[in-house]
Amino acid sequence: MNKLTNILLRNTIALCHRSQNALLGASVVAAKKDFHTTHAAQDLMEFFDSKKNWSENNIRVGRAWKLDELRIKSNTDLHKLWYVLLKERNMLYTMEHECKEKVRLFPNPERIDKVQESMNNIETVVKERNVAYYKLETGETGERPVEDVVSLIGLPEKYEKKEYAIPQFMNTRWVRTYLENGYINSIAVKKFLRLYKEKQHNEERKARNRDFNHVQHLLKRFPDMDMEKLKAEYPNVDIEKAKRSKKARGHFFPKY
Amino acid sequence: MRIFGYLAKKVGDLTVKYSNFPESYIKRSFEQVYWKNPTGYPQYPKAVVARKRFRFTTNRPWTGQFRQQNDRDVHRKKVFLEPVGEWSFFRGDRVEIMVGKDKGKQGIVSQVIQERNWVIVEGLNTHLRTVGKDKSFPGVVIQSEAPLLVTTGVKLVDPETLKPTEIEWRYTEEGDKVRVSKASSRIIPIPKASEETIDYKSKEVYIENEQKDTKADVIAKVTFAPKLNTFEMDIMEEMGIKEDRVPAKSYWY
Repeated sequence: MNKLTNILLRNTIALCHRSQNALLGASVVAAKKDFHTTHAAQDLMEFFDSKKNWSENNIRVGRAWKLDELRIKSNTDLHKLWYVLLKERNMLYTMEHECKEKVRLFPNPERIDKVQESMNNIETVVKERNVAYYKLETGETGERPVEDVVSLIGLPEKYEKKEYAIPQFMNTRWVRTYLENGYINSIAVKKFLRLYKEKQHNEERKARNRDFNHVQHLLKRFPDMDMEKLKAEYPNVDIEKAKRSKKARGHFFPKY
Repeated sequence: MRIFGYLAKKVGDLTVKYSNFPESYIKRSFEQVYWKNPTGYPQYPKAVVARKRFRFTTNRPWTGQFRQQNDRDVHRKKVFLEPVGEWSFFRGDRVEIMVGKDKGKQGIVSQVIQERNWVIVEGLNTHLRTVGKDKSFPGVVIQSEAPLLVTTGVKLVDPETLKPTEIEWRYTEEGDKVRVSKASSRIIPIPKASEETIDYKSKEVYIENEQKDTKADVIAKVTFAPKLNTFEMDIMEEMGIKEDRVPAKSYWY
């Protein structure tokens, strides 16, 4: 690998929360310090945290990288940052495993989520850039093509296309499943769809009843409630009807 | 996963902000998944057997106490929450207590528990609690604050009249969203104390982890220069990787 990969943004696992960090960052020394080289010892111990942190109970770090912060970074920086994060994630998984083995608490497990979120954001930014390039050059996104199909059991499905060396008509080993069938008009599929619809309908009905019941109970408990807020939270419930019901009447004299 | 959406709705956004955790961590710290169908097999639907109803209390969702209170075999009555619309109580707010033994007193909000429409007012609405009582030890009596409902228990204090008032969310001419007192039309600013999280009191006083954190000025540096390249092409160019081979024709289906 190139020498550049060795120069890693060592301090880029998570960010500090300060928006203006003028005090620390003013000098040139501070800017220089941000770029570290990798450890001299490139052995398996890099999978572990530095020894200083082994006995710590609380290893507090900042938040994950945000999308907007990554968008202003060059591709090379993102590439380096990805490997910093990848190493950090490997380290965290190793430490977590090791802590389990030794029956000890793994300090600050949320670090894994923070690193993962940063990595996901990097992927999003890289994708954005590539899509912009391909759209400009070819008019397509350059992403893996996805087709809306009807599956074997008659449900809509996303089919992610795969890449083959030979065209479809020559590929005898490729199983032609539902893709060219479209809607399958068999008794089994019809029956399945009927039952499936019934199930969905029941779920909707139950949710409707549940909401209505809930509103009734709310009216019973909080008769002086703000009705507009109630309406905003449960837009599908007929509140006037709920008010009239017996369940909504509390143990107090109604205000006529 | 349907279950995650269901859980996510329940933890208030102020709680997430206070915790300083990624939301995914909060979810995985308090969810109780008993069974999950293996993913990646077409024959298995996305079925999850997990706890749906949690009792939210003053114990925060990511804590051990919360887990203990919502133990597997512990099921408690449903709590009905009055809809409050937009949340308007923040840590550090001056509020007047409208109910209970401290009715009419004013205090500062020290905790906000959105999941239950609660605020805790510092030093008010308290009761005595005996802690650590044993056969041989009489225990220690401590004073602890009981939470108050934001709908009936407390009201924000008008900065001009120092009387409890209703508030309204409005926009200033600069486009900022502010709370406005209905009694005197004065803006009630959101206090600085609302920035507090479990890690720091405010963003300025956060102490960086020298080993792990990136400095703010490094983050603010703009290194992106637009180029007619994909990410991969740019990296190859940067590393001096030459690639002249033309890929064979392939078919997508």
